[in-house]
Amino acid sequence: MTTIYQQLQTGDYDPVEAFEKAWERITRHEKTVNAFITIDDYNKLRVKAEEASKRIRSGEPRLLEGVLVAVKDNISTSWLPTTAGSRMLSCYQPPYNAYVVERLLEAGAIIVGKTNMDEFAMGSTGEFSAFGPTRNPWDLERVPGGSSSGSGAALAYRAVDLALGSDTGGSIRLPGAYTATVGLKPTYGAVSRRGLIPYANSLEQIGPMARSVIDTALLYKVISGYDPLDATSIKGPGIELERLQPADPSKLKICVIKEVLEASQKQVVAAFTRVIEKLEANGADVNYVSLKSQRYVLPTYYIIAMAEAASNLARYDGGIYNCGSLKMPTWEEQNIRVRSMLFGREVKRRIAMGVFVLSEGYRDEYYVLATRVRRMVRDEVLGLTRDCIIASPTSPVQPPRLGERISDPLSLYALDLATVTANLAGVPALQLPIATTSEGPVGIQLMARPWGEEDLFNTGLLIEEITGLRGVYAL
Amino acid sequence: MKMKIGLEVHVQLTRAGTKLFCGCDSDYRVYATNENVCPVCLGLPGALPVPSKKAVILALAAAMIFNCRIPDAIVFTRKHYFYPDLPKNYQITQYEKAGGAPVCLGGEFEYLDPDTWEWRKVRIRRLNLEEDPGRSVYPEGSIVTSRHVLVDYNRSGVPLLEIVTEPDIPSPRAARAFVEYLLLSLEYIGAVNPRLEGAFRVDANISLEGGERVEIKNIGSTYEVEKALLYEYKRQKLLLENGGQVKRETRHWDAVRRVTKPLRHKEEEEEYLYMPDPDLPPVLTRPLISEAKERLVTLPRHVFEWMTSKGVSREVAWSIVQVQHAAQLYKEALTSGTDPRLLARFIGVDYKGALKDLQKDVHDPGNWPEPAVFRKLVEYVQTGAYPLEAITGIVIPKLAVNPQVNLESILPEKASNVEEVIRIVIKENRKAVNDYLSGRRKALDYLVGQVIRKVGKKAIDPRTVRELLIKILTGERERRERNS
Ligand SMILES: [Zn+2]
Repeated sequence: MTTIYQQLQTGDYDPVEAFEKAWERITRHEKTVNAFITIDDYNKLRVKAEEASKRIRSGEPRLLEGVLVAVKDNISTSWLPTTAGSRMLSCYQPPYNAYVVERLLEAGAIIVGKTNMDEFAMGSTGEFSAFGPTRNPWDLERVPGGSSSGSGAALAYRAVDLALGSDTGGSIRLPGAYTATVGLKPTYGAVSRRGLIPYANSLEQIGPMARSVIDTALLYKVISGYDPLDATSIKGPGIELERLQPADPSKLKICVIKEVLEASQKQVVAAFTRVIEKLEANGADVNYVSLKSQRYVLPTYYIIAMAEAASNLARYDGGIYNCGSLKMPTWEEQNIRVRSMLFGREVKRRIAMGVFVLSEGYRDEYYVLATRVRRMVRDEVLGLTRDCIIASPTSPVQPPRLGERISDPLSLYALDLATVTANLAGVPALQLPIATTSEGPVGIQLMARPWGEEDLFNTGLLIEEITGLRGVYAL
Repeated sequence: MKMKIGLEVHVQLTRAGTKLFCGCDSDYRVYATNENVCPVCLGLPGALPVPSKKAVILALAAAMIFNCRIPDAIVFTRKHYFYPDLPKNYQITQYEKAGGAPVCLGGEFEYLDPDTWEWRKVRIRRLNLEEDPGRSVYPEGSIVTSRHVLVDYNRSGVPLLEIVTEPDIPSPRAARAFVEYLLLSLEYIGAVNPRLEGAFRVDANISLEGGERVEIKNIGSTYEVEKALLYEYKRQKLLLENGGQVKRETRHWDAVRRVTKPLRHKEEEEEYLYMPDPDLPPVLTRPLISEAKERLVTLPRHVFEWMTSKGVSREVAWSIVQVQHAAQLYKEALTSGTDPRLLARFIGVDYKGALKDLQKDVHDPGNWPEPAVFRKLVEYVQTGAYPLEAITGIVIPKLAVNPQVNLESILPEKASNVEEVIRIVIKENRKAVNDYLSGRRKALDYLVGQVIRKVGKKAIDPRTVRELLIKILTGERERRERNS
């Protein structure tokens, strides 16, 4: 299976052909999968594909010339609506492009459309979208994971070559695990958040998703970099694609988190163990370690995320975001009406909890405590990743069936058991597929030290060789 | 009755160049409605704040005026409240009890009380750097009754200093002096033009012995600060003297009717859900200290004390110090040979007065001549080239009309020429001279008239002529007395 990166390198990538094939698949499957909230006009896209082909023929291709990319609908695009999966923003079209969108356009990518997602990225299954749930192309009765549900699903049925997601607590990696795709949650500060509609600013990053490790690295190269207009952006070391190669297993130290393994389903553990044992057989140094703070990560994550969410979502007051449809007698009534009507249940739940943990009298025992525990988690993770790649299943379970977890928040939040740690610690984490079964795909998660993306990609390339799961797709 | 006054002054950093977190203009007054805006100051989703270095430096310079211990980092916090002119429904400020770090906690400030020429000390509780909200208009009444609210976001995000004092101020008049001197100091460090409409707002609290603390909200000028506090003092005093009680409340100053009125709605216990702003990493202050310090080189007190040390009277010195450009002019014009008092008088009394007579803005540097011009004027008087009265009575008023005019073109006839004319007039009018010398004072007016007629249309101050005439005729009388 050749990767997009290889095709671009060899000159085999034909944008017009790629687009026509993708459009055919979109026409066939999109109605059932519901991966997109907005798809750009066929004719406009076709023109862009032709222009890209011309540019390739003239020998001046850019890094992603004519490559088809899907962008999660919480990333601002000035020519397409940006809804964040919410009715609140169903009429919102930003007056500016996100930093990453500017980078994509500069690199010659074609943005096919905006992908479905849990409302304001709050969800782990994709079911909380105001535009209907996305289905998993591997099994249409199952969820594709969330909140970047549409990006994972669009890759899985080959509507696009690459996709952007955002990851606040696993929102790139869970869809990756459930749709057998690859996704990176970058080091905090590696990718500008400018133009990303915020859910929890201190935790989230925009990240690349693809059907192979090298394509994920390719997209990461395009979107990462210092942005002076994001105060949390950091000058990182960057990445050189030519230098990436499968890691030497004899020089590889893997730390498996016992607590995550213990909390995972049998089939997941089995698939995970098979890969780890092969790595060990090839000479990797495999250690089973305890992450002492593991039991705190979910409550810590949810308290911080909900507090920041309550704050970020205060701005949606029906002043400029309500399509002008609701008109109440006074500003206050309008405010209450708009917020109760246009936010979904889960969003309102998280706002309410966020307000609670920040309230006078409770702030110290919830929010402030959580920020302290967060530092503890971070210190422990930084200690472990100093000389070790942390490995665990990405999700403790295989993709749940639609509706299975939607009514029980605690079992829903538990899906994030393995993923939130990287967001709390700010370290990079890579998801890649390790099995596709009748119950759906299984993924492995690798975490490294800050700016250890290269180590993650190299380890990912090695695992791809072991599993043979490079460029797989459904439908 | 003794009183305690504390103030909360909000000053816009109108000279910061940009808004606090985006590139829009810090002085929004020249823009049409909602023209000075961008995604950041409109609070659009995904737009990110980036602190303006200049605004932080100005805030640090202010903190240095207050002798604060500067924290290693400034940490911004979000303060949440729903209001139509607050686009994100939270304001970015600093709050130390929720993980924030203000620019200054616990400083002090000395201001000049021009009534007594005393420097009075006020403790500064805190100094915050925060964003100004937009402006809202309720076309059909108030926020609770109006069907519409119109919002202009041009002001949204303008850097605002919030300065909170301890209740150390002894009188309404002192409160006014404090605010005036505070604004002057902030003008000197290049932070604000306090004369711009809406550049500052004051909340004042006042308590009398035996009464509770009353807060007065939203006072718009230094004059109103004194008036509002004075009104409130009298109201509370009357209440207490008649056995009444002053309850803790918030009132609002009605500048038209000149009364304070209780705010109609009882304020609920506010819940601001403070939290550190996750979009804004702590701003390290150390790399900015030296740039902030540079702004403190000239403070009004330095200039005032330097001038009085040169023998300039406090009144004249204060008159100059109050106009930053005049103070600058004074410093540049003063050289080793220049009489500091005469120079101060020309700048702070005569020229400033002439501008005021002409109703010209004394703060507009374009209304002032070059420093060399003042130096020349002082020199003319010092060398006797022109009498003082010619400068103050003729040259300066003409200069004030057109400060860029060529000085030579407005100078009156030189004194020596006038003296020649006077001697001729004396020779030609012996009778009038004799009349004058024998005590008929009216004869002098006649002689003055003759001199002016001879000098012609050229400008000359009659007072100068009169003085010169008296001088010469007095010499004449003494000669005659000696001879007889
Ligand atoms: Zn702006």
